[in-house]
Amino acid sequence: MNTSHFSSDTGQRPVTITRVAETQWLAVEDDREVGRGDAVRRPDGRMFVSIDAWQDAVFDRLAAAMTADLPAPLYVVVGETDREVRTGWERAGFTTGRREREYAVPTDPRVTGLDLDAVRPPSSVTIVPAGEAQEDLLRVLDRAIRDEVEATVGWQTMPAEVLPRPAGDTIVDPSKYAVAELSGRYVGLIRVAPVPRRPRIGLIAVLADEQRRGIARALLAQALGSLHRSGAESAWAEVDESNAAAVALFEGVGARRTSGILELVRL
Amino acid sequence: MSDLPKTSGGLEFEGTVVECLRNATFTVELQNGHKVLAHISGKIRKNYIKILPYDRVLVELSPYDLTRGRILYRYRT
Repeated sequence: MNTSHFSSDTGQRPVTITRVAETQWLAVEDDREVGRGDAVRRPDGRMFVSIDAWQDAVFDRLAAAMTADLPAPLYVVVGETDREVRTGWERAGFTTGRREREYAVPTDPRVTGLDLDAVRPPSSVTIVPAGEAQEDLLRVLDRAIRDEVEATVGWQTMPAEVLPRPAGDTIVDPSKYAVAELSGRYVGLIRVAPVPRRPRIGLIAVLADEQRRGIARALLAQALGSLHRSGAESAWAEVDESNAAAVALFEGVGARRTSGILELVRL
Repeated sequence: MSDLPKTSGGLEFEGTVVECLRNATFTVELQNGHKVLAHISGKIRKNYIKILPYDRVLVELSPYDLTRGRILYRYRT
């Protein structure tokens, strides 16, 4: 495996950088690990890297070794407020590829304006609550939505969680999905992970030919109403900043931006 | 706990997140009562794992500054 040596900025002892596995690099000083780098290829084929180091000089050497060893493009996820890590990757030639906003979404209908009596789905559309959806129809819808994504914008603007699994099926727990039904088929879905301290809206999607009819808003109203009745004051969600419709949907119900994630890329 | 990270050989302690600070850092109270300032590890960040107050975590302390650390793992609650 490749090995390089340099002196850390303390100037006391040499640090050795070694690629110890196909996707792992170690920085060792005096037989002690002082940094490590990892790489992982996501199902969409993109290679994501990460580095943990206690010193900038070690970080920079690990980044240099990894970018020399791995083919471009390479991707990194950093918190938008994590200036130290972001600066490190920028020194290594990475630039911002996309931004993801994180929102705290209120559940109280008096705040969201999503009173179920006032927010009805379009005519002929019925919202099926979580736990009551037919699994076979749900899987058909999930596949159809993913086919649409792959035929249009692709997965590169999606959080890691909604990437297609290698087997092609992404429905892990059908009971987490509420769906919109139209004439015996499902046309939209929302997935909520009922994590006790902060439920998460992991996915909301409507088939392309049924969009702009208020179905997503009706699904959101159903999900948030259910959370409110169970005692949850808020949920959280992540939205790609370039997805204007999703940003408008969440901000329109009073979602508050709490933080964000940057995806950096080195071409 | 089969998905615990491989040990780095550094100083590792279990603790509880008591505060989320700016600049993606957290105050973590270790089981021995000491509080450290911790970043999240690259692997946690890469996997979109969120850290919240009251989360129980595994922290690796910096060999250069024992008041600073890195969150390696968030235990399921």
